[in-house]
Amino acid sequence: MTTENSETETPLPETAATADASPSADEHESEARLPMTGIRVLDLGTFLAGPHAASVLGEFGAEVLKIEHPIAGDPMRRFGTPTKRHDATLAWLSEARNRKSVTLDLRQAEGVQLFLKLVAKSDVLIENFRPGTMEEWGLGWEVLSEANPRLIFLRVSGYGQTGPYRRRSGFAHIAHAFGGLSYLAGFPGETPVVPGTVPLGDYFSSLYGAIGIMLALRQREKTGRGQIIDVGIYESVFRQLDEIAASYGLFGKVREREGSGSFVAVPHGHFRTQDDKWIAIACTTDKMFERLAEAMERPELASSALYGQQRKRLAARNEVNQIVIEWVGSLPRSEVLERCLRCEVPVGKLNSIADIFEDEHFQARGNLVTLEEPGLGEVVIPGVVPRLSLTPGRIHNLGPALGDATYEIMRELLDISPDDIKRLRQRKII
Amino acid sequence: MTTSVTQEDLPLTGIRVVDVATVIAAPYCAGILGEFGADVLKVEHPMGGDICRKYGTPTQRGDTLAWLSEARNKKSVTIDLHRREGVEVFKKLIEKADVLCENFRPGTLEKWGLPWETLHEINPGLIMLRVTGYGQTGPYKDRPGFARIAHAVGGIAYLSGMPKGTPVTPGSTTLGDYLTGIYGCLGVLMALRYREQTGLGQYIDAALYESVFRCTDELAPAYAMFGQVRERHGPTHNDFACPYGHFPTKEEGKWVAIACATDKLFERLAEAMGRPELASSSLYGDQKTRLENRHDVNEIVRDWCGSLTRDELLKRCYATGAPAGPLNNIADIFGDRQFHARRNLVSVDVPDLGETVIVPGVIPRLSETPGRIKHLGPKLGEHTDAVLQELLGLNSDEIAELHKKRVI
Repeated sequence: MTTENSETETPLPETAATADASPSADEHESEARLPMTGIRVLDLGTFLAGPHAASVLGEFGAEVLKIEHPIAGDPMRRFGTPTKRHDATLAWLSEARNRKSVTLDLRQAEGVQLFLKLVAKSDVLIENFRPGTMEEWGLGWEVLSEANPRLIFLRVSGYGQTGPYRRRSGFAHIAHAFGGLSYLAGFPGETPVVPGTVPLGDYFSSLYGAIGIMLALRQREKTGRGQIIDVGIYESVFRQLDEIAASYGLFGKVREREGSGSFVAVPHGHFRTQDDKWIAIACTTDKMFERLAEAMERPELASSALYGQQRKRLAARNEVNQIVIEWVGSLPRSEVLERCLRCEVPVGKLNSIADIFEDEHFQARGNLVTLEEPGLGEVVIPGVVPRLSLTPGRIHNLGPALGDATYEIMRELLDISPDDIKRLRQRKII
Repeated sequence: MTTSVTQEDLPLTGIRVVDVATVIAAPYCAGILGEFGADVLKVEHPMGGDICRKYGTPTQRGDTLAWLSEARNKKSVTIDLHRREGVEVFKKLIEKADVLCENFRPGTLEKWGLPWETLHEINPGLIMLRVTGYGQTGPYKDRPGFARIAHAVGGIAYLSGMPKGTPVTPGSTTLGDYLTGIYGCLGVLMALRYREQTGLGQYIDAALYESVFRCTDELAPAYAMFGQVRERHGPTHNDFACPYGHFPTKEEGKWVAIACATDKLFERLAEAMGRPELASSSLYGDQKTRLENRHDVNEIVRDWCGSLTRDELLKRCYATGAPAGPLNNIADIFGDRQFHARRNLVSVDVPDLGETVIVPGVIPRLSETPGRIKHLGPKLGEHTDAVLQELLGLNSDEIAELHKKRVI
């Protein structure tokens, strides 16, 4: 299967990563050597839950075809900050990276037939409709696996494919709540806030899905058969909550909101500096607290008579936090950081995105990748994660225009005649 | 245990993972690999072992619940890597391993005479996951890092909390650990695939802050293009959609989440509220209009939510397909039908504790080769002798000698 340079009709002009430290240099040379080269992924999902799996596989060499409705396209194109490109928000540009867009109306019988032909030539299919939707279109697992017994099918939905709530609509925001994360974000007894970013659960569920795909690909090499990976967004959120289940199960302990702190360690939280900025300190172990006491020039605080043991610090949580609040509040942020870092205390700035853009470490690691997008100029997006030493991933294009590869795929992959393609276009099937 | 697949059927059967890491991030990668058939050897310092054993709520056995849950399926092998003989034993393990997970500060393995070059020479197919707060390169690489710090540096702590208020923990202090473990695991699986094609191993350089930053949707492009600095969201996030947030119900302390990402979803909410006119084009039918009038729209939704019990409100939303859900605490979760139907809570007997411990089940769910939990976190050094004898071929005298010298 080819993955590159076969642009025909309405190609997007070549884009290239320009950040010098980005792992995407020499993309064409290394193309044949990436781990996912030769794998074709059909991304039938919308928004992010599921599609992010395709993004990571695409960064590592898979060919990703984004299958979209011919008129509407993925609603992600309209979600987020609009750009001068009428079919692309910034979120779409970043998160639909490395894809080719192919339009196909699955509500029409002929669209379904074409789709099955694509399935026959693909390795992985990703979808995130409400459970039952694919079946309504005549695209249940039996049909799909008959079209391609080797197919690996990732299904992501709010609640998974089974269980009493499977038909409910779910987004990460709901899944954070249902999975137990939102309840924990905020001050005790006060308003629960959004935990970090709204789509966190979309990323989690996609990544679990991608792991499932890799496992299934491996198994397929032994057996020749594909399988289904069923991921509920809520369960990928719940899986992150360390021992919350075990401690409720054994001790009946209901974890409550922790404000800016943590139930396991003190001091472990966010502190305001004299210049009204914020830092995080994480004294997970006694040794870390000893270093903090040293940075504060009050080594006696870490003595066994005072707060040397985590147990004692947890018992005297308010007193210990108050001491740290006062110390941090008496110094400007740069000074607190310098003193902490000198003593190797785990400390960090609470970075806003403006701070991140100025940060030398983000720059040195190439975490901000700049791509040139015609008509828009430079677009800066997060670089590839994870970072592989021998086969780094790469970003060769931002979110594509709607249907930019429809002709190419119909003509070259499915061998449909130009006349038929024209007819399919007129009938808005593609 | 929920499944009883024979080990031979799993995707990672025959893969051996050496997990010399601590706490959660890199060990979680090994944990996932173990759920799907890999043999995971947890290499720990003979005195005390992985500090995860002390992280969280202690049990009568001494090890915490976090350890029991997250060291699932692993075998504990004690080796002191500060000792030359320990390093020699470790090298023999590496010869027979496919994957190594580590999270020492950069330079530590090197100090012990175990730089990547040496490991790669001992075993050219070896894949190594390296997790640190800041990665193996860059100016901050030597700084200590925990997930709390990574949330701050990676930009999500800044966004959590009431506008202009104290930034709060984004739900859980270990999110960044799990996230890095997952990205790392994906890296390991891709590297395994590449190894099968070429015979070559490689390492994955994972930084906690990077995995966090990767999950910030358009935060970076919006700043680069429009200079927009996103601030703390509070309980609602109305940059892109409205209503979208947490709302209190009539019952004290019981909240719901509502997420009307599209116009159609708002229409369903308006219907659930018994006020379909709200979704008309002359009122709030368009996302744009709702965003412009976010305070009014949020107020209407808040009033409605405040007039109903949580169950009644959710019943009405589910009836019309409006996107809503409860803010569950762990007690709610234990009582929930969906969690039970999906077997998200798995009870595992811990014989030496005399207790059954409930832990989160295996994710992701594979139809033909589901993962499994054979046992929870092992006791320190529980498998040292067996592994040294059966895998490395040491005889009982040699093992006794190593014990005596406290190398193992």
